[in-house]
Amino acid sequence: MAADSKSKKSPWWTPREVSEGQSAHLTLGPLSMTLGHGVDEWILEVSSSEETALDGNNTRLKVRKGLPDEAGERFVHAGEAERVVLSPMLADRPVVIRPRQPVFLLGGQSITLYLSTPIWLKVEIADPPVLLKEFPVMRLSDTWFGASTREGELCYAGRTHARHKLADLPQRPHRAISPMTIRNETDKPVPLEKISLPVPMLSLYGADDGSLWTQRVTLTLEGGTEQARVKIDSDLPEVARTLERLAGPRMEGGRSGMTWALNLLLGT
Amino acid sequence: MFDRLADIIAIEGLLLFGRAIVLVTLGLLLASLCARLTASGLRSRLTPQLLQLARRCVFYAILGVFIAAALAEMGFSIGVIMGAAGVLTVALGFASQTTASNLISGLFLIGERSFEIGDIIRIGDTIGEVLSIDALSVKLRTYDNLYVRIPNETLIKSEVTTLSRFPIRRLDLQLGVAYKEDIAHVREVLMGVADANSLCLDEPAPLFIFTGFGDSALEIQFSVWAKRENFIHLRNGITAEIKVAFDEAGIEIPFPHRSIYTGEVSKPFPIRLVNEAQTASDTDKED
Repeated sequence: MAADSKSKKSPWWTPREVSEGQSAHLTLGPLSMTLGHGVDEWILEVSSSEETALDGNNTRLKVRKGLPDEAGERFVHAGEAERVVLSPMLADRPVVIRPRQPVFLLGGQSITLYLSTPIWLKVEIADPPVLLKEFPVMRLSDTWFGASTREGELCYAGRTHARHKLADLPQRPHRAISPMTIRNETDKPVPLEKISLPVPMLSLYGADDGSLWTQRVTLTLEGGTEQARVKIDSDLPEVARTLERLAGPRMEGGRSGMTWALNLLLGT
Repeated sequence: MFDRLADIIAIEGLLLFGRAIVLVTLGLLLASLCARLTASGLRSRLTPQLLQLARRCVFYAILGVFIAAALAEMGFSIGVIMGAAGVLTVALGFASQTTASNLISGLFLIGERSFEIGDIIRIGDTIGEVLSIDALSVKLRTYDNLYVRIPNETLIKSEVTTLSRFPIRRLDLQLGVAYKEDIAHVREVLMGVADANSLCLDEPAPLFIFTGFGDSALEIQFSVWAKRENFIHLRNGITAEIKVAFDEAGIEIPFPHRSIYTGEVSKPFPIRLVNEAQTASDTDKED
Protein backbone atom coordinates (compact mmCIF):
# COMPACT_ATOMS: atom_id res chain seq x y z
CA MET A 1 0.00 0.00 0.00
CA ALA A 2 2.95 2.31 0.45
CA ALA A 3 4.80 1.25 -2.67
CA ASP A 4 5.50 4.80 -3.74
CA SER A 5 7.47 5.80 -0.74
CA LYS A 6 8.79 2.90 1.29
CA SER A 7 11.97 0.91 1.12
CA LYS A 8 11.79 -0.29 -2.48
CA LYS A 9 11.79 3.14 -4.03
CA SER A 10 12.69 6.19 -2.03
CA PRO A 11 11.31 7.89 1.05
CA TRP A 12 8.75 10.66 0.62
CA TRP A 13 11.28 13.38 1.24
CA THR A 14 13.24 12.86 -1.98
CA PRO A 15 12.70 15.59 -4.56
CA ARG A 16 10.06 15.14 -7.28
CA GLU A 17 9.22 16.80 -10.55
CA VAL A 18 5.80 18.42 -10.81
CA SER A 19 5.14 19.99 -14.21
CA GLU A 20 2.53 22.59 -14.99
CA GLY A 21 -0.98 21.28 -14.64
CA GLN A 22 0.08 18.55 -12.21
CA SER A 23 -0.18 18.25 -8.44
CA ALA A 24 1.72 16.32 -5.82
CA HIS A 25 -0.47 14.64 -3.21
CA LEU A 26 1.03 13.65 0.09
CA THR A 27 -0.66 11.64 2.82
CA LEU A 28 1.43 11.38 5.95
CA GLY A 29 -0.22 10.25 9.14
CA PRO A 30 -2.96 12.76 9.93
CA LEU A 31 -1.75 15.19 7.25
CA SER A 32 -3.10 15.41 3.74
CA MET A 33 -1.46 17.93 1.44
CA THR A 34 -1.77 18.87 -2.23
CA LEU A 35 0.70 21.09 -4.07
CA GLY A 36 -0.41 22.10 -7.54
CA HIS A 37 1.67 23.73 -10.27
CA GLY A 38 -0.52 26.30 -11.97
CA VAL A 39 0.31 28.94 -14.58
CA ASP A 40 3.06 31.08 -12.99
CA GLU A 41 1.90 30.07 -9.54
CA TRP A 42 1.86 27.23 -7.05
CA ILE A 43 -1.24 26.31 -5.06
CA LEU A 44 -0.95 24.66 -1.67
CA GLU A 45 -3.81 22.99 0.18
CA VAL A 46 -3.32 21.43 3.59
CA SER A 47 -5.65 19.56 5.88
CA SER A 48 -4.88 17.88 9.15
CA SER A 49 -7.03 15.47 11.10
CA GLU A 50 -6.73 13.55 14.37
CA GLU A 51 -4.13 10.85 14.81
CA THR A 52 -5.43 7.33 14.35
CA ALA A 53 -4.03 3.83 14.52
CA LEU A 54 -3.93 3.66 10.71
CA ASP A 55 -1.30 6.38 10.53
CA GLY A 56 1.47 3.80 10.42
CA ASN A 57 0.96 2.64 6.87
CA ASN A 58 -0.81 5.35 4.94
CA THR A 59 2.24 7.24 3.71
CA ARG A 60 1.68 8.09 0.09
CA LEU A 61 3.16 10.61 -2.31
CA LYS A 62 1.75 10.72 -5.83
CA VAL A 63 2.08 13.16 -8.68
CA ARG A 64 -1.11 13.39 -10.71
CA LYS A 65 -2.66 15.59 -13.34
CA GLY A 66 -5.06 18.26 -12.19
CA LEU A 67 -4.89 21.15 -9.79
CA PRO A 68 -6.49 21.47 -6.34
CA ASP A 69 -10.17 22.44 -6.54
CA GLU A 70 -10.67 24.65 -3.57
CA ALA A 71 -8.75 27.85 -3.15
CA GLY A 72 -5.67 26.93 -1.21
CA GLU A 73 -2.80 29.33 -0.68
CA ARG A 74 -1.33 30.72 -3.87
CA PHE A 75 2.33 31.54 -4.32
CA VAL A 76 3.33 33.50 -7.37
CA HIS A 77 6.45 32.05 -8.97
CA ALA A 78 6.83 32.54 -12.66
CA GLY A 79 9.36 30.21 -14.15
CA GLU A 80 10.11 26.82 -15.53
CA ALA A 81 10.86 25.31 -12.12
CA GLU A 82 9.34 21.88 -11.70
CA ARG A 83 11.35 20.50 -8.83
CA VAL A 84 9.47 20.10 -5.56
CA VAL A 85 11.22 19.26 -2.30
CA LEU A 86 9.15 18.24 0.71
CA SER A 87 11.35 17.92 3.74
CA PRO A 88 10.61 17.02 7.32
CA MET A 89 11.79 19.21 10.17
CA LEU A 90 11.57 19.05 13.93
CA ALA A 91 9.30 21.21 16.09
CA ASP A 92 10.22 24.82 16.71
CA ARG A 93 9.71 24.70 20.48
CA PRO A 94 10.58 22.16 23.19
CA VAL A 95 8.01 19.39 23.63
CA VAL A 96 6.75 18.27 27.03
CA ILE A 97 6.22 14.53 27.35
CA ARG A 98 5.10 12.40 30.27
CA PRO A 99 6.11 8.79 30.95
CA ARG A 100 3.30 6.27 30.99
CA GLN A 101 3.39 6.22 34.76
CA PRO A 102 5.46 8.42 37.06
CA VAL A 103 8.82 6.78 37.62
CA PHE A 104 11.24 7.27 40.48
CA LEU A 105 14.83 7.11 39.35
CA LEU A 106 16.86 6.00 42.35
CA GLY A 107 20.29 7.36 43.14
CA GLY A 108 23.08 6.08 40.94
CA GLN A 109 20.66 4.63 38.37
CA SER A 110 20.02 5.54 34.81
CA ILE A 111 17.13 4.99 32.44
CA THR A 112 16.64 5.32 28.69
CA LEU A 113 13.28 6.56 27.50
CA TYR A 114 12.03 6.79 23.93
CA LEU A 115 10.04 9.92 23.14
CA SER A 116 8.29 10.78 19.91
CA THR A 117 7.48 14.26 18.66
CA PRO A 118 5.43 15.28 15.60
CA ILE A 119 7.34 16.79 12.70
CA TRP A 120 7.00 19.94 10.67
CA LEU A 121 6.85 19.89 6.88
CA LYS A 122 8.83 22.30 4.72
CA VAL A 123 7.62 22.83 1.16
CA GLU A 124 10.19 24.16 -1.29
CA ILE A 125 10.28 24.49 -5.05
CA ALA A 126 12.90 25.04 -7.70
CA ASP A 127 16.63 24.69 -7.60
CA PRO A 128 18.12 26.49 -5.61
CA PRO A 129 15.17 25.84 -3.28
CA VAL A 130 12.66 28.60 -2.64
CA LEU A 131 10.65 28.15 0.54
CA LEU A 132 6.88 28.24 0.10
CA LYS A 133 5.69 27.26 3.53
CA GLU A 134 6.64 25.47 6.71
CA PHE A 135 3.90 24.03 8.90
CA PRO A 136 3.30 21.31 11.48
CA VAL A 137 1.87 17.97 10.47
CA MET A 138 -0.79 18.28 13.15
CA ARG A 139 -1.91 21.13 15.36
CA LEU A 140 -0.21 20.85 18.72
CA SER A 141 -1.50 22.24 21.96
CA ASP A 142 0.47 24.98 23.68
CA THR A 143 1.71 24.42 27.16
CA TRP A 144 3.82 26.24 29.71
CA PHE A 145 6.87 24.61 31.23
CA GLY A 146 8.61 26.40 34.04
CA ALA A 147 9.15 26.97 37.69
CA SER A 148 6.22 29.36 38.00
CA THR A 149 3.76 31.28 35.88
CA ARG A 150 6.25 34.12 35.71
CA GLU A 151 9.31 32.26 34.48
CA GLY A 152 9.49 29.47 32.02
CA GLU A 153 8.87 28.98 28.35
CA LEU A 154 6.08 28.18 26.01
CA CYS A 155 6.32 24.61 24.72
CA TYR A 156 4.18 22.11 22.89
CA ALA A 157 2.32 19.42 24.79
CA GLY A 158 3.29 16.01 23.48
CA ARG A 159 0.21 14.02 24.15
CA THR A 160 1.98 10.71 23.82
CA HIS A 161 3.86 8.81 26.48
CA ALA A 162 7.53 8.09 26.86
CA ARG A 163 8.31 4.39 26.53
CA HIS A 164 10.97 2.32 28.21
CA LYS A 165 11.48 -0.03 25.31
CA LEU A 166 11.91 0.94 21.68
CA ALA A 167 9.72 -1.94 20.60
CA ASP A 168 6.80 -0.47 22.56
CA LEU A 169 6.84 2.72 20.53
CA PRO A 170 4.65 2.42 17.43
CA GLN A 171 6.37 3.50 14.22
CA ARG A 172 4.55 6.48 12.84
CA PRO A 173 5.82 8.27 9.76
CA HIS A 174 4.89 11.75 11.02
CA ARG A 175 6.78 11.45 14.31
CA ALA A 176 10.50 11.53 15.06
CA ILE A 177 11.81 9.28 17.81
CA SER A 178 14.36 10.61 20.30
CA PRO A 179 16.20 8.35 22.73
CA MET A 180 16.78 10.08 26.03
CA THR A 181 19.06 8.76 28.75
CA ILE A 182 18.69 10.17 32.25
CA ARG A 183 21.49 9.48 34.74
CA ASN A 184 20.92 10.18 38.38
CA GLU A 185 24.30 10.87 39.97
CA THR A 186 22.76 12.20 43.15
CA ASP A 187 21.96 9.99 46.10
CA LYS A 188 18.28 10.89 46.21
CA PRO A 189 15.50 9.40 44.10
CA VAL A 190 14.29 11.77 41.40
CA PRO A 191 10.67 11.67 40.22
CA LEU A 192 10.22 11.67 36.45
CA GLU A 193 6.75 13.02 35.85
CA LYS A 194 7.18 15.24 32.88
CA ILE A 195 10.17 15.86 30.68
CA SER A 196 10.86 18.80 28.43
CA LEU A 197 12.71 17.59 25.36
CA PRO A 198 14.85 20.42 23.91
CA VAL A 199 13.77 19.72 20.34
CA PRO A 200 15.13 22.91 18.68
CA MET A 201 18.64 21.75 19.55
CA LEU A 202 18.32 18.38 17.81
CA SER A 203 18.98 17.27 14.24
CA LEU A 204 16.65 15.08 12.23
CA TYR A 205 17.73 11.84 10.57
CA GLY A 206 15.72 9.59 8.29
CA ALA A 207 15.96 5.97 7.23
CA ASP A 208 14.99 4.44 3.91
CA ASP A 209 11.87 2.91 5.42
CA GLY A 210 10.47 6.36 6.18
CA SER A 211 11.20 6.34 9.91
CA LEU A 212 12.55 9.50 11.50
CA TRP A 213 15.05 9.79 14.33
CA THR A 214 17.02 12.33 16.31
CA GLN A 215 20.25 12.01 18.24
CA ARG A 216 20.36 10.67 21.75
CA VAL A 217 20.05 13.26 24.52
CA THR A 218 21.72 12.52 27.84
CA LEU A 219 20.70 14.28 31.02
CA THR A 220 23.05 13.88 33.93
CA LEU A 221 21.68 14.96 37.28
CA GLU A 222 24.62 16.05 39.34
CA GLY A 223 24.87 15.62 43.05
CA GLY A 224 24.52 18.56 45.34
CA THR A 225 22.95 21.02 42.92
CA GLU A 226 19.59 21.59 41.34
CA GLN A 227 21.30 21.43 37.99
CA ALA A 228 21.44 18.91 35.20
CA ARG A 229 23.97 18.62 32.45
CA VAL A 230 22.58 18.15 28.98
CA LYS A 231 24.63 16.39 26.35
CA ILE A 232 23.43 15.91 22.81
CA ASP A 233 25.26 13.20 20.94
CA SER A 234 27.00 14.26 17.80
CA ASP A 235 26.82 10.70 16.41
CA LEU A 236 23.89 9.13 14.71
CA PRO A 237 21.41 7.34 16.93
CA GLU A 238 22.08 3.64 17.28
CA VAL A 239 19.22 2.05 15.46
CA ALA A 240 19.72 -0.84 13.11
CA ARG A 241 19.36 1.15 9.89
CA THR A 242 21.33 3.49 7.67
CA LEU A 243 20.40 7.03 8.38
CA GLU A 244 20.65 10.19 6.34
CA ARG A 245 20.74 13.63 7.92
CA LEU A 246 17.67 15.58 6.88
CA ALA A 247 17.74 18.74 8.94
CA GLY A 248 20.10 20.47 11.33
CA PRO A 249 19.16 21.99 14.67
CA ARG A 250 17.02 25.14 14.60
CA MET A 251 19.08 26.63 17.41
CA GLU A 252 22.74 26.56 16.50
CA GLY A 253 25.26 26.52 19.29
CA GLY A 254 22.60 25.58 21.77
CA ARG A 255 23.06 24.86 25.40
CA SER A 256 24.37 21.34 25.02
CA GLY A 257 27.14 20.64 27.48
CA MET A 258 25.98 23.44 29.75
CA THR A 259 24.00 22.98 32.87
CA TRP A 260 20.31 23.63 32.95
CA ALA A 261 18.25 24.21 36.03
CA LEU A 262 16.60 20.97 36.94
CA ASN A 263 13.14 22.44 36.93
CA LEU A 264 13.55 23.46 33.29
CA LEU A 265 13.94 19.87 32.21
CA LEU A 266 12.05 17.76 34.70
CA GLY A 267 8.98 19.48 35.97
CA THR A 268 7.92 18.76 39.50
CA MET B 1 39.45 115.00 24.84
CA PHE B 2 35.93 113.98 25.79
CA ASP B 3 35.45 112.57 22.36
CA ARG B 4 38.52 110.40 22.85
CA LEU B 5 37.22 109.24 26.25
CA ALA B 6 33.83 108.42 24.79
CA ASP B 7 35.51 106.52 22.00
CA ILE B 8 37.67 104.53 24.46
CA ILE B 9 34.61 103.68 26.64
CA ALA B 10 32.64 102.65 23.57
CA ILE B 11 35.43 100.35 22.36
CA GLU B 12 35.88 98.87 25.85
CA GLY B 13 32.16 98.24 26.08
CA LEU B 14 32.08 96.64 22.66
CA LEU B 15 35.07 94.44 23.51
CA LEU B 16 33.44 93.29 26.73
CA PHE B 17 30.19 92.64 24.93
CA GLY B 18 32.11 90.83 22.21
CA ARG B 19 33.90 88.64 24.76
CA ALA B 20 30.59 87.81 26.42
CA ILE B 21 29.04 86.84 23.07
CA VAL B 22 32.06 84.65 22.27
CA LEU B 23 31.74 82.94 25.64
CA VAL B 24 28.05 82.22 25.13
CA THR B 25 28.62 80.91 21.59
CA LEU B 26 31.47 78.74 22.80
CA GLY B 27 29.22 77.52 25.60
CA LEU B 28 26.46 76.60 23.16
CA LEU B 29 28.83 74.67 20.92
CA LEU B 30 30.54 72.87 23.77
CA ALA B 31 27.23 72.08 25.49
CA SER B 32 25.64 70.57 22.38
CA LEU B 33 28.79 68.59 21.63
CA CYS B 34 28.93 67.19 25.16
CA ALA B 35 25.22 66.40 25.05
CA ARG B 36 25.62 64.46 21.84
CA LEU B 37 28.63 62.59 23.20
CA THR B 38 26.73 61.68 26.36
CA ALA B 39 23.81 60.44 24.29
CA SER B 40 25.89 58.24 22.04
CA GLY B 41 27.92 56.96 24.94
CA LEU B 42 24.98 55.98 27.10
CA ARG B 43 22.61 54.93 24.30
CA SER B 44 22.95 51.22 24.99
CA ARG B 45 22.54 51.51 28.74
CA LEU B 46 19.55 53.75 29.20
CA THR B 47 15.94 53.81 28.04
CA PRO B 48 15.02 56.54 25.53
CA GLN B 49 13.41 58.58 28.31
CA LEU B 50 16.43 58.62 30.56
CA LEU B 51 18.71 59.24 27.61
CA GLN B 52 16.87 62.40 26.63
CA LEU B 53 16.82 63.56 30.25
CA ALA B 54 20.57 63.04 30.62
CA ARG B 55 21.22 64.83 27.37
CA ARG B 56 19.20 67.86 28.39
CA CYS B 57 20.81 67.98 31.84
CA VAL B 58 24.31 68.01 30.40
CA PHE B 59 23.40 70.65 27.81
CA TYR B 60 21.83 73.10 30.24
CA ALA B 61 24.45 72.57 32.91
CA ILE B 62 27.32 73.46 30.60
CA LEU B 63 25.42 76.29 28.94
CA GLY B 64 24.51 77.67 32.36
CA VAL B 65 28.15 77.77 33.43
CA PHE B 66 29.17 79.65 30.28
CA ILE B 67 26.30 82.14 30.57
CA ALA B 68 27.27 82.83 34.18
CA ALA B 69 30.87 83.40 33.02
CA ALA B 70 29.65 85.75 30.27
CA LEU B 71 27.56 87.72 32.72
CA ALA B 72 30.52 87.98 35.10
CA GLU B 73 32.61 89.19 32.17
CA MET B 74 30.11 91.95 31.39
CA GLY B 75 30.34 93.14 34.95
CA PHE B 76 27.15 91.85 36.48
CA SER B 77 27.55 90.69 40.02
CA ILE B 78 26.49 87.07 40.22
CA GLY B 79 25.60 87.43 43.85
CA VAL B 80 22.79 89.90 43.25
CA ILE B 81 21.35 87.78 40.46
CA MET B 82 21.51 84.70 42.63
CA GLY B 83 19.69 86.47 45.43
CA ALA B 84 16.89 87.58 43.17
CA ALA B 85 16.72 84.15 41.66
CA GLY B 86 16.41 82.64 45.12
CA VAL B 87 13.37 84.69 46.01
CA LEU B 88 11.81 83.97 42.64
CA THR B 89 12.41 80.26 43.12
CA VAL B 90 10.59 80.18 46.42
CA ALA B 91 7.60 81.92 44.87
CA LEU B 92 7.64 79.61 41.88
CA GLY B 93 8.00 76.63 44.16
CA PHE B 94 4.82 77.37 46.02
CA ALA B 95 3.00 77.95 42.77
CA SER B 96 4.17 74.79 41.10
CA GLN B 97 3.78 72.23 43.85
CA THR B 98 1.76 69.84 41.69
CA THR B 99 4.10 70.20 38.76
CA ALA B 100 7.09 69.47 40.97
CA SER B 101 5.30 66.50 42.46
CA ASN B 102 4.56 65.21 38.97
CA LEU B 103 8.14 65.70 37.94
CA ILE B 104 9.54 63.77 40.89
CA SER B 105 6.88 61.07 40.53
CA GLY B 106 7.91 60.72 36.91
CA LEU B 107 11.52 60.15 37.88
CA PHE B 108 10.52 57.49 40.38
CA LEU B 109 8.21 55.78 37.90
CA ILE B 110 10.98 55.54 35.36
CA GLY B 111 13.40 54.26 37.96
CA GLU B 112 11.01 51.68 39.33
CA ARG B 113 10.32 50.17 35.91
CA SER B 114 6.99 48.66 36.83
CA PHE B 115 5.90 49.45 33.29
CA GLU B 116 7.69 50.61 30.16
CA ILE B 117 6.82 52.04 26.78
CA GLY B 118 4.76 49.48 24.89
CA ASP B 119 3.29 47.86 27.99
CA ILE B 120 -0.45 47.74 28.46
CA ILE B 121 -1.60 49.18 31.77
CA ARG B 122 -4.91 49.59 33.53
CA ILE B 123 -5.45 52.52 35.85
CA GLY B 124 -8.92 52.84 37.30
CA ASP B 125 -11.18 52.16 34.34
CA THR B 126 -8.75 53.14 31.63
CA ILE B 127 -6.84 50.44 29.79
CA GLY B 128 -4.27 51.45 27.22
CA GLU B 129 -0.86 51.01 25.71
CA VAL B 130 1.89 53.27 27.10
CA LEU B 131 3.08 55.62 24.36
CA SER B 132 5.50 57.70 26.40
CA ILE B 133 6.51 58.40 29.96
CA ASP B 134 7.12 62.16 30.00
CA ALA B 135 8.29 64.52 32.71
CA LEU B 136 4.84 65.34 34.01
CA SER B 137 2.55 62.65 32.68
CA VAL B 138 2.19 59.33 30.96
CA LYS B 139 0.42 59.13 27.63
CA LEU B 140 -1.74 56.15 26.80
CA ARG B 141 -3.50 54.96 23.69
CA THR B 142 -6.73 53.14 24.58
CA TYR B 143 -8.02 50.16 22.62
CA ASP B 144 -10.57 52.37 20.87
CA ASN B 145 -7.74 54.62 19.72
CA LEU B 146 -8.16 57.53 22.11
CA TYR B 147 -5.29 59.55 23.58
CA VAL B 148 -5.26 59.72 27.36
CA ARG B 149 -2.93 61.83 29.49
CA ILE B 150 -2.44 60.61 33.06
CA PRO B 151 -0.47 62.79 35.52
CA ASN B 152 2.46 61.00 37.10
CA GLU B 153 1.23 61.92 40.55
CA THR B 154 -1.93 59.87 40.00
CA LEU B 155 0.14 56.90 38.88
CA ILE B 156 2.38 57.01 41.93
CA LYS B 157 -0.54 57.32 44.31
CA SER B 158 -2.89 54.71 42.91
CA GLU B 159 -2.96 51.08 41.83
CA VAL B 160 -1.62 50.44 38.34
CA THR B 161 -2.02 47.01 36.75
CA THR B 162 0.48 46.08 34.06
CA LEU B 163 -1.37 43.59 31.89
CA SER B 164 1.60 42.74 29.70
CA ARG B 165 4.19 41.94 32.36
CA PHE B 166 3.92 38.14 32.49
CA PRO B 167 3.89 35.86 29.45
CA ILE B 168 0.79 33.82 30.29
CA ARG B 169 -2.60 34.84 31.58
CA ARG B 170 -5.56 33.08 33.15
CA LEU B 171 -9.13 33.44 31.91
CA ASP B 172 -11.80 32.96 34.58
CA LEU B 173 -15.17 31.90 33.26
CA GLN B 174 -18.17 32.02 35.57
CA LEU B 175 -20.82 29.50 34.57
CA GLY B 176 -24.03 28.25 36.03
CA VAL B 177 -25.57 24.86 35.40
CA ALA B 178 -28.99 23.63 36.36
CA TYR B 179 -29.44 21.93 39.70
CA LYS B 180 -30.35 18.66 38.07
CA GLU B 181 -26.90 18.28 36.44
CA ASP B 182 -24.15 15.95 37.66
CA ILE B 183 -21.15 18.05 38.66
CA ALA B 184 -18.64 15.35 37.74
CA HIS B 185 -20.12 15.09 34.25
CA VAL B 186 -19.99 18.88 33.80
CA ARG B 187 -16.34 18.84 34.86
CA GLU B 188 -15.58 16.13 32.32
CA VAL B 189 -17.24 18.06 29.50
CA LEU B 190 -15.41 21.29 30.40
CA MET B 191 -12.04 19.56 30.60
CA GLY B 192 -12.71 17.99 27.22
CA VAL B 193 -13.37 21.43 25.71
CA ALA B 194 -10.12 22.80 27.18
CA ASP B 195 -8.23 19.78 25.89
CA ALA B 196 -9.50 20.20 22.35
CA ASN B 197 -8.73 23.92 22.23
CA SER B 198 -5.12 24.28 21.13
CA LEU B 199 -4.76 27.84 22.44
CA CYS B 200 -5.56 26.69 25.94
CA LEU B 201 -2.37 25.66 27.73
CA ASP B 202 -2.07 22.09 28.99
CA GLU B 203 0.05 23.31 31.84
CA PRO B 204 -0.91 25.03 34.11
CA ALA B 205 -3.88 22.72 34.01
CA PRO B 206 -7.39 24.16 33.68
CA LEU B 207 -9.04 24.72 37.01
CA PHE B 208 -12.57 23.64 37.88
CA ILE B 209 -13.94 25.26 41.04
CA PHE B 210 -17.42 24.76 42.37
CA THR B 211 -18.12 28.15 43.89
CA GLY B 212 -21.50 27.57 45.42
CA PHE B 213 -25.18 26.84 45.36
CA GLY B 214 -26.64 29.89 43.64
CA ASP B 215 -30.17 31.19 43.51
CA SER B 216 -30.99 29.68 40.16
CA ALA B 217 -28.04 27.47 39.31
CA LEU B 218 -24.99 25.65 40.58
CA GLU B 219 -22.19 28.19 40.27
CA ILE B 220 -18.96 27.03 38.74
CA GLN B 221 -15.72 28.81 37.93
CA PHE B 222 -13.69 27.35 35.06
CA SER B 223 -10.23 28.89 34.68
CA VAL B 224 -7.99 28.29 31.68
CA TRP B 225 -4.54 29.63 30.88
CA ALA B 226 -3.31 31.00 27.56
CA LYS B 227 -0.37 32.88 26.13
CA ARG B 228 -1.01 36.55 26.78
CA GLU B 229 -1.22 37.38 23.06
CA ASN B 230 -3.87 34.70 22.53
CA PHE B 231 -6.07 35.85 25.40
CA ILE B 232 -8.81 37.49 23.32
CA HIS B 233 -8.91 34.63 20.81
CA LEU B 234 -9.22 32.15 23.63
CA ARG B 235 -11.94 34.14 25.36
CA ASN B 236 -14.08 34.26 22.26
CA GLY B 237 -13.29 30.75 21.10
CA ILE B 238 -13.73 28.80 24.27
CA THR B 239 -17.04 30.33 25.35
CA ALA B 240 -18.58 29.32 22.04
CA GLU B 241 -17.06 25.85 22.31
CA ILE B 242 -18.41 25.42 25.84
CA LYS B 243 -21.89 26.32 24.70
CA VAL B 244 -21.73 23.80 21.85
CA ALA B 245 -20.36 21.10 24.14
CA PHE B 246 -23.07 21.75 26.71
CA ASP B 247 -25.77 21.57 24.06
CA GLU B 248 -24.37 18.26 22.79
CA ALA B 249 -24.12 16.81 26.29
CA GLY B 250 -27.58 18.07 27.23
CA ILE B 251 -26.30 20.22 30.07
CA GLU B 252 -28.65 23.06 30.81
CA ILE B 253 -27.61 26.60 31.60
CA PRO B 254 -30.70 27.83 33.37
CA PHE B 255 -32.45 31.17 33.25
CA PRO B 256 -32.91 32.86 36.61
CA HIS B 257 -35.69 31.12 38.54
CA ARG B 258 -38.22 32.56 40.89
CA SER B 259 -40.84 30.53 42.71
CA ILE B 260 -43.99 32.39 43.70
CA TYR B 261 -46.33 31.28 46.46
CA THR B 262 -49.46 32.95 47.72
CA GLY B 263 -48.68 32.44 51.34
CA GLU B 264 -49.01 28.65 51.49
CA VAL B 265 -46.75 26.30 49.59
CA SER B 266 -49.18 23.42 49.45
CA LYS B 267 -52.21 25.27 48.15
CA PRO B 268 -52.61 25.90 44.41
CA PHE B 269 -52.21 29.43 43.07
CA PRO B 270 -55.71 30.99 42.64
CA ILE B 271 -56.51 32.54 39.23
CA ARG B 272 -59.61 34.46 38.17
CA LEU B 273 -60.42 35.14 34.50
CA VAL B 274 -61.87 38.60 33.88
CA ASN B 275 -64.67 39.26 31.34
CA GLU B 276 -65.03 35.56 30.62
CA ALA B 277 -68.67 35.77 29.45
CA GLN B 278 -68.07 38.77 27.17
CA THR B 279 -65.08 37.22 25.35
CA ALA B 280 -67.08 34.03 24.77
CA SER B 281 -70.00 35.91 23.13
CA ASP B 282 -67.58 37.94 20.94
CA THR B 283 -66.06 34.86 19.42
CA ASP B 284 -69.54 33.44 18.68
CA LYS B 285 -70.41 36.53 16.65
CA GLU B 286 -67.24 36.24 14.49
CA ASP B 287 -68.11 32.72 13.50
